[in-house]
Amino acid sequence: MKVPIAYFLTLSAVLFSIGTVGVLVRRNALVMFMSIELQLNAVNLSLVAFSRQLGNLNGQVLAFFSMVVAAAEVVVGLAIIVSIFRKRTTINVDDEDLLKW
Amino acid sequence: MLKYIWLVPALPLAGAAVNLVFGKRLGKRSGIIGPVMVGGSFVISFLALFDLLGRPAEERVYVAHLWDWFHAGALDVGADLRADALSMTMILVVTGVGFLIHVYSIGYMHGDRLYPRFFAYLNLFVFFMLTLVLAQNFVVLFIGWEGVGLCSYLLIGFWFEKPAAANASKKAFITTRVGDTFFIVGLAMIFVYFGSFDFDKVLNGHAASALSVGTLTAISLLLFGGAIGKSAQIPLHVWLPDAMEGPTPVSALIHAATMVTAGVYLVVRTHVLFTPTSLAVVMFIGLATALYAATGAVGQDDIKRLLAYSTLSQLGYMFFAAGMGAYGVAMFMLVAHAFYKALMFLAAGSVMHGMEGETDMTKMGGLKKYMPVTATLFMIGAITIAGIPPLSGFFAKDPILSLANRSGRGLAWLLADAAAFLTAFYTARLVFLTFFGEPRTERPAHESPKVMTVPMGLLAAGAAVAGVLAITPEGVLAKFLEPVTGLPGEFVGGLPEWALMAISVLLALGAIWLAWYVYASTRWRALRGRYPYVHDLLENGWYWDAAYANTIVPAGKWVAGIAAFGFDTGFIDGIVNGLGSLTKGLAAIGRRLQTGMVRTYAAVFLFGVFVVLLVLAVRS
Repeated sequence: MKVPIAYFLTLSAVLFSIGTVGVLVRRNALVMFMSIELQLNAVNLSLVAFSRQLGNLNGQVLAFFSMVVAAAEVVVGLAIIVSIFRKRTTINVDDEDLLKW
Repeated sequence: MLKYIWLVPALPLAGAAVNLVFGKRLGKRSGIIGPVMVGGSFVISFLALFDLLGRPAEERVYVAHLWDWFHAGALDVGADLRADALSMTMILVVTGVGFLIHVYSIGYMHGDRLYPRFFAYLNLFVFFMLTLVLAQNFVVLFIGWEGVGLCSYLLIGFWFEKPAAANASKKAFITTRVGDTFFIVGLAMIFVYFGSFDFDKVLNGHAASALSVGTLTAISLLLFGGAIGKSAQIPLHVWLPDAMEGPTPVSALIHAATMVTAGVYLVVRTHVLFTPTSLAVVMFIGLATALYAATGAVGQDDIKRLLAYSTLSQLGYMFFAAGMGAYGVAMFMLVAHAFYKALMFLAAGSVMHGMEGETDMTKMGGLKKYMPVTATLFMIGAITIAGIPPLSGFFAKDPILSLANRSGRGLAWLLADAAAFLTAFYTARLVFLTFFGEPRTERPAHESPKVMTVPMGLLAAGAAVAGVLAITPEGVLAKFLEPVTGLPGEFVGGLPEWALMAISVLLALGAIWLAWYVYASTRWRALRGRYPYVHDLLENGWYWDAAYANTIVPAGKWVAGIAAFGFDTGFIDGIVNGLGSLTKGLAAIGRRLQTGMVRTYAAVFLFGVFVVLLVLAVRS
């Protein structure tokens, strides 16, 4: 039995919205990070769904790319968060306004 | 040797460079380099003169193209030197008299703190002066013209610790600049109407005849404006008496023999551009200055200021002659004047040297006994300028007076005769006050060293015998210069030649007798006591300086104040500062966008995404 594409897209949209709201409302940098991850994976899901629907592998390849980029981003982002925490003993983003004059 | 004409200005330039760079290390030896370089230039000039004389009169022009200087549009300017009869005469005077004055400076400047720098400046001046007279186009001439002005400024203010010297140098520079402004405008007009600065293209006679009389009058009067500034003619003469604050060799070289005659040279060089109207102006200005400065000289007690007024007056004579079209006569006067005026300045410097810097003649007197050589040489110069034959001054002045008479300019002739009378009078006054009578001070005067008296002696010999250049009916020098200057017209009217000569000589003798009567005794003190205002009027040069100080100077200051405080700080600075304030104000608003809150940025980002999606949705 073939699952209709609408199911996938609905799930993807729900995940993306949860991620967006998470980025906007949470102050903890780690949680914001996880929310961004959620958004990325929501998009990955829709990419794979479209790929299956259209019988074209491009979407799946693109999903792999996005996973690799996400992994790299996590490495850099976590390093920044760790060094900020060492310096200031907090990862609350509302306290981080160093670049503002 | 004409091929090596470029060496003539190059040698003094090299001397100036060496003395400027290594002067401190050379010390006293810099006093050798300066004179040797100018002497070398003189030798080369002299050899080049024989080359030139070896050619037929019409072909006595040699143009040396050194290099292409610059091209801009239709303007082609080369670094070209021109050796013809006129420039050859000038470089011989500049290097010859200049060499003697350089040698004299060894003694006069001996022990000065800035001894090497003095010779560097003096060499630099000679370089620029030679560039001026050797130029083949107006641009090179202008470089020399401004260069001699710069050196004049540097040398007048050589003893810049003295406020009077510093002020005098500024006054000379700025006053000359007024004339130079006219000169630049004249040069621009030459380029507009002739399309070239080259003498061969501008001064060949055909080019000028294609232009309207009005244009030519304007161009020639603008050029003459430059000459007025440089040669210190009315109304820009005020800087020359003050310029006497400089060392005396400078007064002799720059403010008597060479630089101030650059204006006369310019008029003679560009005479084809002068229309009858502008020649009348030249003649009028020259005559006015000759007469005015002669009266001013009578009132001077400062020996150098008297000579400065005398120089003004003699330059006026040269312009008077040039204004009557007698360019050869003007040039002869220039040459003779270079000799006798340089001699008189050097002798005056010798007096100052012997009197420990005293320049006030009322404190001298009886110096004949203490400085016999200087006194004798000065008197040779004095008799020369007074116009007693057979010394050169007579041959310089008499043709001018006789030309004025024979060409039917009766009033001008009378005024010029009056100036000649005053010339003899003030010179004799100087001699009687300084060298005759009883000493009026206890100061011990001493004769100057040989290094000073020998150059003076040579100049005196030159002043005495230069008359041979004018002794034949048409004049040796005038004939030499004829391809450049042409001949003045023939005149038949007026008094016979012998009568004019007799009048000249009688006037001079009468003036000398009158000066002897008044100044060889103490009668002048009584006279001054009875008419103090006459003396004050003459000593202050008819209060010309005061008139400028009360009219032009406040007006200039007022305009400068508006320009500086109204326009510059108000308008120009206002624009610049206003732009700065505007940027700051906009930044104060703009920086509120940067909250530093990560979540705000994310929200704005999201909002932007929605907007983009909305736009895409609407458009599809």
